[in-house]
Amino acid sequence: MALVSIHGVSFTYAYSEQPALRDVSLQLEEGLLYGVIGTNASGKTTLCSLIRGLIPLFHPGTLTGKVEIRGRNLLDWDPAHLARAIGCVFENPFTQISGIKDTVFEEIAFGLENIGVPREEMITRVLGVVERLGLQSLIKKNPNELSGGQRQKVAFAAIVAMEADFIVIDEPTSQLDPEASDAVFGIIGDLRKQGKSIVLVEHKIDLMAQHADRIIVMKDGKVIGEGPTGDILTSEIMDVADVPRPEVTDLALALKGTAKALPTLPITRAQAFDAISPRLSG
Amino acid sequence: MSQDNTFSKTMQGYGRLTIFMIPIGIAINFVGGQFALLLKLPVYLDSIGTILVGATCGGLPGALVGAVSNVLNSITSPPTMVFGILSIMFGLLAGWLAKRGVFTSLTMTLLSAIPFAFIGGVLGALLTIWVFGGLAVGGGALVVGALTAAGFDINTANFLAQVPMDVLDKVPTVLVVYAILKGMPKRLFAKLPLGYIYLDKRSATTAAQKPTA
Amino acid sequence: MQQDATKERAEFDREFVDAFRRPVSQGNWVRDINPLIAFLVLGCLAIIPIWIEGLIAPLAMCAAFVAISLLAGVGRHFIPGYLKLFLAVGLILFVLRAAFEPGDLVLFRLGPLSPTWEGVQSGARFALVVMVLCGALTLYAALIPAKYLMLALEQQGLTPRATYVLLTSFQAITDLAKNVRVVMDAQKSRGIETEGSILTRSKAFFPIIAPAFLAAMNQTEERAVALDARAFSSKAPHTRLVSLRGPRPWEFGLLLVAVAGVVVSIMGAYLSWP
Repeated sequence: MALVSIHGVSFTYAYSEQPALRDVSLQLEEGLLYGVIGTNASGKTTLCSLIRGLIPLFHPGTLTGKVEIRGRNLLDWDPAHLARAIGCVFENPFTQISGIKDTVFEEIAFGLENIGVPREEMITRVLGVVERLGLQSLIKKNPNELSGGQRQKVAFAAIVAMEADFIVIDEPTSQLDPEASDAVFGIIGDLRKQGKSIVLVEHKIDLMAQHADRIIVMKDGKVIGEGPTGDILTSEIMDVADVPRPEVTDLALALKGTAKALPTLPITRAQAFDAISPRLSG
Repeated sequence: MSQDNTFSKTMQGYGRLTIFMIPIGIAINFVGGQFALLLKLPVYLDSIGTILVGATCGGLPGALVGAVSNVLNSITSPPTMVFGILSIMFGLLAGWLAKRGVFTSLTMTLLSAIPFAFIGGVLGALLTIWVFGGLAVGGGALVVGALTAAGFDINTANFLAQVPMDVLDKVPTVLVVYAILKGMPKRLFAKLPLGYIYLDKRSATTAAQKPTA
Repeated sequence: MQQDATKERAEFDREFVDAFRRPVSQGNWVRDINPLIAFLVLGCLAIIPIWIEGLIAPLAMCAAFVAISLLAGVGRHFIPGYLKLFLAVGLILFVLRAAFEPGDLVLFRLGPLSPTWEGVQSGARFALVVMVLCGALTLYAALIPAKYLMLALEQQGLTPRATYVLLTSFQAITDLAKNVRVVMDAQKSRGIETEGSILTRSKAFFPIIAPAFLAAMNQTEERAVALDARAFSSKAPHTRLVSLRGPRPWEFGLLLVAVAGVVVSIMGAYLSWP
């Protein structure tokens, strides 16, 4: 059973004239990290809202086509169950803090309180998450006094503590500085190692190339490409979608057809290093 | 896929944004009032949130915002609690007026300042007289005192003090509410209980979500 | 040295985490009284002076509040604030009534004002009774943090949605005030004046608060989604990390005494009427 199955789905927001999604069909499997790329207003966030079940109940509009999450029709899911099955982290670090807890520890425990986890287990799970994400120095701090980067880490921690197997992450680093971005991607990489299924929307294509198993390319509400990361990032779809490639790929493509062409088209620095180093030593 | 049962599902699943708007309404009341004090303006401007929430979420949420704001203000000035009934009425009236589309037109909004000022000024003066014998709290009481010294009897003094003061306060209040409603994005209205009123007026082609029950 | 510091920090943190395993305590027996009982007791104390004539009863109650604040260890916090309120609220109420309340025995004349003895008396009484109410409310706020009151209410069956609304209101006020300040600085740098004539100042109000208010309202969508992701709308019964100790027998006794005090003062008021 596919994790998410979308057939011929179109969606127009209730107050809008243009469809945000046009005839989208996708199949997402468990345990993979899907990167979603595309220019602004290409439908990436709408796709996330759809998968997460916010469309059409929270964001009213006209939805046609078929959407199935874990084999069950999206509209048949109880919204509360769907929220527990699919975690989500999004762009704004300031609106993801509940605002009613005084310490980061309690903030992370908040979600567990809502699902009725017994106290001792709550403490164990929160400590585990704090350990894994390296938040020990923050647990006593007031979440409302943290920086953007710190808040985003706490938001991740709070979602990870809820132990959903499927997490939708929408542009988590766009409001963060490079250091905080790296930390967040470290968390994402770790989640991937644990075998979670992830849908990640991001503009930082280099980081995407490092972490994504498959890429979904969107333009004007349509999915114009979906496939393994290496294939997509080196193909022309990137030009059609108007999305920049990783630096090393651009370099390799520029060298293609010349005497100095590289044997393979790298998408990460590590791959580029492997491709170039034989020349440096030889 | 049918849209028939989506409204009822919305109420079950996500509800509307009302419980998130109420704290914002309370904050707007508080900060609006503080800011008016900061700018040393001779008006309260502490009911903007009440009316805004009443106009977007309904009379009861608006009344709740008014009531809670009143209780918070009463901590440092207990007599203020008596006037809580006025704040509740502001919220209820805002909801009632909104359902009649008053806040979609500038003229109607300006005219709505009259019933609000009536409640605040006339009922407020009556409350001051009945409960406090004419002298309640704050700057208003000082004005009343000055008027009685000038020769007016205490009841007239109260009306003279409170009614113009409230008109002066409510006209900018409703204008601010109107301006904020104009500036709110459609996607936000789509999620508010009374949002359909403002979506209808905004776009004739919009398929507004009207409550079925 | 480094290792000791880390070890010390680990110990400290363990203490912090362990604290959740026990019922919460503020470290003082007065402040550990169950929030609802404390509310009722202070409420009773606040209304007792209303039924006892004269100035001594309210004065004594104000003094009692000061004493309680000292017992609770919040004296340093409460007393200066209370004194400021006496001046800002109590004094003004007194002066107003003393100056303007009509009466028979005029004390002196000062321009258009002719304060009377009746005015002074009723002014003092009114001001003191208000200060008692004020004192009770501010003392309660100093003794019991809002989150513990909410916890106590939830234990009695109040829906978490209500406690969420009340608790976020406090944070929303702080956040909005901060944002208004930020917008104010930005607008000032664009030439908007906040000093000067009343017209200038009025023109500054809208361009500063409107963007801040709008931004706050726009954020509600994201907050709703974020809260939903934390299973806030889950129908499962909530558990709580922090636990409140149930009220102990002597706290009920205290409540009984306070209620008895109210009953006695009310009866006393009725019985002493001719």
